[in-house]
Amino acid sequence: MKIGIPVLDELLKEIPRGKTLTYYIDPEVEGDVFGMQTLYRNLEEGYRCVYVTSTMSPTSLRNRFKEFGWYVDEFENFSVVDAYSAYVGATSDERYVVKDPTNLDELDEVIRKAIDENDLVVFGSLSTVIDICGEETLNYFERWKEQAEDSVIVSNFTAWPYSEDVLSKVKELSNAVVRIGGIHHRVILGHYYGILKVDWTQVKGRAVLFKVVKPGGVKAYIPKILVTGPYNAGKSTFVHAISNKAISVDRLGTTVALDHGKVEYKGFTIDVFGTPGQERFDPILKVLGSEALGVILVVDSTKPETFPRAKQLLEKTTHFGLPYVIAANKQDLPNALKPEEIRKLMHIPEDVPIIPTVATKKIGVYEVLDALIKLLIGEGYAKSEGAT
Amino acid sequence: MRIEILNIDVDSNNVMVIGPPLVGKSIFVRNIVWEKVSNGFGGVYVTTKDTAEAVLDWFQRFNLSDIKIIDCVSKTIFSDAPDTEDIKRVSIMDLTGISVRINMFLERFWKSGKRDVIIAFDSISTVLMYLNPQTVFRFLHVLTNRIKSFGAFAFYTVDEDMHDERTIAMLKQLFNGVIELKDEGNRRIFRYLSPSIRTEWRGFSIVNDRLEVSS
Ligand SMILES: Nc1nc2c(ncn2[C@@H]2O[C@H](COP(=O)(O)OP(=O)(O)O)[C@@H](O)[C@H]2O)c(=O)[nH]1
Ligand SMILES: [Mg+2]
Repeated sequence: MKIGIPVLDELLKEIPRGKTLTYYIDPEVEGDVFGMQTLYRNLEEGYRCVYVTSTMSPTSLRNRFKEFGWYVDEFENFSVVDAYSAYVGATSDERYVVKDPTNLDELDEVIRKAIDENDLVVFGSLSTVIDICGEETLNYFERWKEQAEDSVIVSNFTAWPYSEDVLSKVKELSNAVVRIGGIHHRVILGHYYGILKVDWTQVKGRAVLFKVVKPGGVKAYIPKILVTGPYNAGKSTFVHAISNKAISVDRLGTTVALDHGKVEYKGFTIDVFGTPGQERFDPILKVLGSEALGVILVVDSTKPETFPRAKQLLEKTTHFGLPYVIAANKQDLPNALKPEEIRKLMHIPEDVPIIPTVATKKIGVYEVLDALIKLLIGEGYAKSEGAT
Repeated sequence: MRIEILNIDVDSNNVMVIGPPLVGKSIFVRNIVWEKVSNGFGGVYVTTKDTAEAVLDWFQRFNLSDIKIIDCVSKTIFSDAPDTEDIKRVSIMDLTGISVRINMFLERFWKSGKRDVIIAFDSISTVLMYLNPQTVFRFLHVLTNRIKSFGAFAFYTVDEDMHDERTIAMLKQLFNGVIELKDEGNRRIFRYLSPSIRTEWRGFSIVNDRLEVSS
């Protein structure tokens, strides 16, 4: 069976029959689209697919598919397990109806039938079934999984702060777990997914940033990080130092246009852009800033007279509330100010990391990147590192 | 972080507004939101009792249109009214959907440079009619943390007579601040409580849907 999600298609190839795949979703991230997209992709392949809805009426569900441009009703091989309507006191004329969604035995009977009659069963929200029917649901899930020898079960699971028992059981019962997380910085600035576990193929951990597009569904993209700073602070040198591959459009040694590099970092591919330092290029800073996920400010630690300009650049690029870290560059030179001296002179808040670097010798440059990624992804990614 | 509400220095990002049925919790919270949004705050109203149209109508009566609404009613009563830029509809069973949409509005405020945000959740009691306290607790745990880390202020209404003591105790753990409303027969009163503040009881009345606080 297909997965239908960019990058996962390449990495996992397909979901073999008899396997379960769980989308393990951060509670603040729009993740139900993953299960829907997998289902739609398989409808197109001609497989018999059934969607179990516990959180919305079948009509709302069809409208939700439509938002993405997926007209499921045009497929005869599509059907719904309605485990919602009865809960809110409505009738239903779906092929599969659960008369009392709070009763696990009734749900069980319907799900078993759906498994027998379909190639793919997608749980719209396994977590909601657990919320309504209790943790006992997972014992039933284990039996559904055994019964689905010849079909595939895919679940959306919102990872609310359940007990560790529940969370690990969900992962245990899945042959593959794809974590869908948020990049938090006061708000959620971006979303990513990565493979936590898979038992039918070997993969190296890799995380992908995505946007949910309507119509269209899940689209992957490459995050941008901006490297800014005054003229001659060492931006170009810095971009080259952290990049696996970098190009600069240089004239007369210092940057006129953009430095651009790609960094492979803990499974992410990141686009790094150096900005021009000259004031006449300032208007493009806001444009770049609006697309970036974070900012690295490079300062020449021996030139406090450039700090006011550095602060100005920071304000222009972090206009949208982006997180930033500071590289106190040229630490090898005599008279270089220490990070804490720079913090004082520039009035930088205590919680912003200022890291000493020597860009020409690649000293400290990865620490800078590390600090920024930590600000961005924090705990979230640390948890998904099991994939590597 | 603090916000001034009715001359009270509210020192909690997450405040429970609790009182008996019909004491005026919704109107109370609407007036708070109205006041702040009229003064430049971003506002989000999560409604479980009235449809988005009814809520918007109320605000528009007092010349305010710029309010984001998460409507947990329409889908539950099988209306197929569509979403708009500022109105998102989800079923009350869909806590993930509610959480995702609150975050979406917060993200929009953040990216447009708006840092002062007020949120009303009216009411938690309805959610507790559909889902068990444990489930609601997990949801609120995630939500209250997000509100705090953003630096927004949220007011959650709770019907005090509808829940057992354990549920109320659980809710109190989540909300650092509480506004208590009481009906004393001839007058209504309220006060604010937090670990470091306890105001006097003050009288209030509701005239033409507007809140009037006696000094
Ligand atoms: N001593 C020293 N020189 C550096 C360091 N980083 C950059 N430079 C030099 O500073 C000059 C300006 O660097 P460049 O990267 O072009 O600055 P940009 O204008 O900010 O892009 C070049 O001559 C670099 O070799 C450093 O850490 N130590
Ligand atoms: Mg340069």
